[in-house]
Amino acid sequence: MDSQLLNPTSLKSRFTARFLRALTKINAPNPISSSSPTPREIFQRYRRIKVAADKSMAYSVRSRTTWSRATLSRLRTRSRHRRLASFGPRSSVTTAAVLKKTSSHGKENEGGLGVQAGELRELVPGGEAMDLCNLLDETAHYIKCLTTQVQVMKTIANLYSLE
Amino acid sequence: MQPACSREMQAMDSLLNPTHHLPLQDLQIHGHPPPQFDNPTPSHDDFLEQMLSTASFPLSSSSWSDIDDNAFPQGGDGGSNPFQAMKMMMMMQQQLLVAGGPSAAATGGTHQGGGEGSNSITSMQALFNGFGDGSFSHPQPSFGADSKTDINQSQGPAATTAAPEKPKQKVRARRGQATDPHSIAERLRRVRIAERMKALQELVPNANKTDKASMLDEIIDYVKFLQLQVKVLSMSRLGGAAAVAPLVADMPSEGGGDCVQTSANGGGVSLPRNSNGDQPSSANDSLTVTEHQVAKLMEEDMGSAMQYLQGKGLCLMPISLATAISTANSHSRSPMINHVNPNNGANGNHLLLQSSGGGGDGPSSPSMSVLTVQSATLGNGGVDGAASVSKP
Repeated sequence: MDSQLLNPTSLKSRFTARFLRALTKINAPNPISSSSPTPREIFQRYRRIKVAADKSMAYSVRSRTTWSRATLSRLRTRSRHRRLASFGPRSSVTTAAVLKKTSSHGKENEGGLGVQAGELRELVPGGEAMDLCNLLDETAHYIKCLTTQVQVMKTIANLYSLE
Repeated sequence: MQPACSREMQAMDSLLNPTHHLPLQDLQIHGHPPPQFDNPTPSHDDFLEQMLSTASFPLSSSSWSDIDDNAFPQGGDGGSNPFQAMKMMMMMQQQLLVAGGPSAAATGGTHQGGGEGSNSITSMQALFNGFGDGSFSHPQPSFGADSKTDINQSQGPAATTAAPEKPKQKVRARRGQATDPHSIAERLRRVRIAERMKALQELVPNANKTDKASMLDEIIDYVKFLQLQVKVLSMSRLGGAAAVAPLVADMPSEGGGDCVQTSANGGGVSLPRNSNGDQPSSANDSLTVTEHQVAKLMEEDMGSAMQYLQGKGLCLMPISLATAISTANSHSRSPMINHVNPNNGANGNHLLLQSSGGGGDGPSSPSMSVLTVQSATLGNGGVDGAASVSKP
């Protein structure tokens, strides 16, 4: 880690840059003239922003961690779902099958922590196919990235919601 | 063996009841009925195994084996690791406290019994030696090896939790399960898991739990909380249904000139917030109302005007910059740009720009409508050039 205050290659700055770009892309198409948007629009926009946030975070991490890979593949699959309906079911089925096969092996020795481990697996993307050891690793990195994400989004929200 | 361990023996004797030929279990649970040690076998390693396997203590039992590992290889250099010895003492004591009560701790080791029994005994003795003199000599390697296998194996099935820092230990064969790869792999696994739990403990606030299960619960809750925060934050940036109507703020922002400047610099790249729900009127009306509002605010205080605009997702910028941006945008995305003229604008010529893309999903082509701005009637020429409000 550099000793500079603003490390240009840190996770935070990478994520911020990507996220801001994504936000501008999202915000640009919306006409200011639309007064109170319908709840559907609101939800759509919220979805887009959330997806953009997750995606930019996953991209910032590249493929170094399992959860980032899982997130990216999930996002790609979902976008493919939307575009090509025919492809959707196939890809999801394959992924599910693969996951099912791999998940049964690595999870034998969890001590008495099976319940919590299962919950953690649900929370952390891509956690289904990992044994407890790797799962904890992934969780640590995931938590670190989530906190960065929250920090950056909070800052942005504060900047642009001056009242 | 006897002469080799005589020193330990004496140290132990000072600690223990000098009942030389009591079986290990009696010494351990001195005064306490040892229900879990019903095993009447004279073999002390069996007893040790049983005791350790039945005791469920918060400390990682693998650390116990680590202690043993560390205890023995020092080879006569016991004084070099008094810290480890003390650590071991404490862990041993804690473990025994859980297992059998205070007296057990006091009567910790035993003096040696028969040949085999001494193996497990000497391990305990060696640990308790730390109490006495803080150093213990290296017992016969065979003893250490044997007892360690014993303890190792017994701790395999025992519940483990996060343990204090353990140095990397050598894998040493133990009695009975000398080269069982499973137990060794098991132990390594637990070590790694404990390390990771420690790392997670630092990341997660409120991580003062000593129990692995509750620590995991805490971690799970924290991850859920963070994910929820991301969701909430992404909603908030919309403006939401209860939308933001940031009217005049009391907070004094920068001065007028600065306002324009900062917005000029930042206007091109400012992120517009979705301003919706502010004005109940239709599209055109909202724009007009906005203009009026802004004009009114500008009369009073530039800062509050800026606040208001920012709340709506707009900003002020010089006209030159705005035109530059609009031409640039027209090439890339051809946003819709409305230039609105506030009738009673405060400063010179200014534009109220808003740009919007040509419909996200719809195929409609973007239209450019430009309403030129007329100069304000107010003589407040504080801002030279034109101030324009734009939403990039």
